[in-house]
Amino acid sequence: MKIDEFQETIHACRFCFMCRHLSAVGNVTFRESDTPRGRALIAGKMQQSMDTLEQDYIDAIFKSEISASCRFHCVSHFDEAGLVIAAREDIVAAGKAPEPVKVVAEQLKNVSFSVEGSGDTLYYVDSYSDKKSAPAGCKTISGGDTGRALQVLGYTADSEAVFAQFANAVKSSGCVKLVTSCPASFYFLKENLNGVEVMHASAFLSSKKGSGEVYYLESDYLKNYCAEFVSPAESLTKLGYSLKPFGTNPEESYTAGEGAVVYDRLYPEVAEKMCKHISELADNPTSDVLVTASPYTKAVLNKYAPELTVKLLDEILVKGL
Amino acid sequence: MSTINYANSMLHSELADAVGKEFVSSNAADQLGHSIDYYWIPELWHDRGFDNPKPQFIVHPATAQEVAKVMKIANKYKIPVTPWGGGSGSQGGALPMYGGIILDTKRMNKVLHVDTDSLTVTVETGINTQHLEWAIEKKGFSTMHFPASIACATLGGFLAHRGTGVLSTKYGKIEDMVMSVEVVTPTGEIINTLPVPRHASGPDLTMLYLGSEGTLGVITKVTLKIHPIPESRKFHAFLFKNMHEAMTAGANIMRSRLRACVIRLYDEPETEHLIKRVLGIDKKGAYLVFGFDGNEKMVDLEMEAACELCRRQDHEDLGTEMGQSWWDNRYKFFYPPFMFHMPQAFGTLDTVADFAHIENVYWAMKNTVNENFPEARFIGHFSHWYEWGCMLYARFIVEEPPHDPEEATLYYNKIWDMAIRAAIREGGVINEHHGVGLKLGRLMPELYGPAFNILESIKTSMDPNNIMNPGKMGFRC
Repeated sequence: MKIDEFQETIHACRFCFMCRHLSAVGNVTFRESDTPRGRALIAGKMQQSMDTLEQDYIDAIFKSEISASCRFHCVSHFDEAGLVIAAREDIVAAGKAPEPVKVVAEQLKNVSFSVEGSGDTLYYVDSYSDKKSAPAGCKTISGGDTGRALQVLGYTADSEAVFAQFANAVKSSGCVKLVTSCPASFYFLKENLNGVEVMHASAFLSSKKGSGEVYYLESDYLKNYCAEFVSPAESLTKLGYSLKPFGTNPEESYTAGEGAVVYDRLYPEVAEKMCKHISELADNPTSDVLVTASPYTKAVLNKYAPELTVKLLDEILVKGL
Repeated sequence: MSTINYANSMLHSELADAVGKEFVSSNAADQLGHSIDYYWIPELWHDRGFDNPKPQFIVHPATAQEVAKVMKIANKYKIPVTPWGGGSGSQGGALPMYGGIILDTKRMNKVLHVDTDSLTVTVETGINTQHLEWAIEKKGFSTMHFPASIACATLGGFLAHRGTGVLSTKYGKIEDMVMSVEVVTPTGEIINTLPVPRHASGPDLTMLYLGSEGTLGVITKVTLKIHPIPESRKFHAFLFKNMHEAMTAGANIMRSRLRACVIRLYDEPETEHLIKRVLGIDKKGAYLVFGFDGNEKMVDLEMEAACELCRRQDHEDLGTEMGQSWWDNRYKFFYPPFMFHMPQAFGTLDTVADFAHIENVYWAMKNTVNENFPEARFIGHFSHWYEWGCMLYARFIVEEPPHDPEEATLYYNKIWDMAIRAAIREGGVINEHHGVGLKLGRLMPELYGPAFNILESIKTSMDPNNIMNPGKMGFRC
């Protein structure tokens, strides 16, 4: 089983409560099973028997937001996010994925990448973004997720097949630089795409000076997976913006499920609760300007917390406030 | 449909009426999560592939009124109700030993009011304590309640078993921080205790509920003291030749009435083992760290006076850096892999005594464990200090306990029974801040003597159907 590769994590997390306060889903559902401890206990049950695995256990594994806040917080950095993805792989391999997951996975497999426009740089347009957001002078590539969404759902082989199609399309474009504003894609392509320089949009866009007070909502991927490559908060500060700390602490995930890439398509009611929680934490929900680096986060906040003013980092960098 | 299933469905409907359909669950994943807390025994059973006792229903009420409705339903059908906050208690206090209803308080998580005149906060008790501290810090204050389990536990959990944070020496245990509480009684009435803790209007009802571990009701709201964030907080560490020298130094600080915010003393084995592993201080002896906070001039004066007292004993001055390092890493001890874990058997023999008895308590427990269980390691530190004494956080660790869970449970309980009885004989009290729960309930009548009858009478009077957390704290099942 894939989860056997995470034996140390299972043993470390199953009886440990030290990061439960950072469980974005658990903080809105209040369920013990929606915490890293709860999921590690379930992983232990999976190791005992996959045949008799309760459907409730399976649902809890897929309900995780995979923000990796727990790994970031843990003094030993046990990879509970990796454990959850491994558990999903085992569940999918056993043919026990929940029906809604199967439906979304089928949709994600159905990709058709196309490259348009002209330029030396390729701009990837993810499913939460619009082609219009592409910077001038770039070719665009669109037509589906890069494979990260299927990977986090546990469909490893399908993820690899989709990624192969994406990589071929990139190769055909002739571009040696790829830019994306989607943090999940940035992380995934940085890890997997060879021969092409992968940049996050915040590091690529020619930014103009600005001013004013904004609250920056950290991206799970940029903070917990890619902090060595890109720091949007630093970029905003350098441009002259005054950053106010959002919420009460810098450790919680304020992305409403960005880590799981397509979370709102599977669990819209939980995504909505996470958005409402973010709104509750805003100092002045109707007047504050919140900035996110994640098109996913912007899209779900617009949908479920329309009282908030949410701007994408790229927009701020290019157009100002 | 069997009669039992039919009855369960009816009960499910009634609970859904009380708290909302979305907030009643018989979900297997949640039942699993609520069948294991931080007590070693359920961990052992899970590790060995067995199931622990599970609740039939988990309810998440949002208000005291909803809690009251649940109580009335439970009384009507005489179903056990076990309150559950963060579930991180080490004594089995939140385990649903007889099934029934788990009353999970985490949905009651609102900060209701911060009073900047009186420096108090009124808050619902299901709030995660780290979330509370963050919310208060954002307003420029602090609860000054910093237990190792701050991120794990709800505020209600600390109230229910009289928890303690690392700054207790100055700011007190949780019971010293409380102004008043709102409680839902076992029969479903909502009551409030008097609004201030100092009065002469009869016995202190607030204190009756603090430490009652969900056996006398559910604490749903509390008003706590808060404090300004101090201008300065400084630490200093010393290494002493042995634990007695260190204890003398620590006790002298307390007897001098200097107001340290924390004192912590590690015995020689723990200094050699954990202080080396976590802080990287590789020295033999007994490590003592202490701190002061507040106005910087006062901090410096008190710090110098405390250091002067320490220098009277056989010491090595480790300076401020090795004191600050302890503070910076104070929670690290409790993360894996620094915390003990399976397959090890381990337990915290949390005991408190006055200065006249505390060292005897330590040696009595240590000798008992060493002589009767030579395979066990015994380590200890002294965590929470008062004008009159301190708390001993003694621990035993067995690398390879019996594999069979029943045999292991008997073995484990035997260590507890012998060590705790040794502590009681020497004037120790079990315990200072972990609570009694399931683990120590059987020893309560011995600890209290005839006074335990009074506690039992209170329980019987307040909870006539014995629905609240039955089998805990030594009360009848």
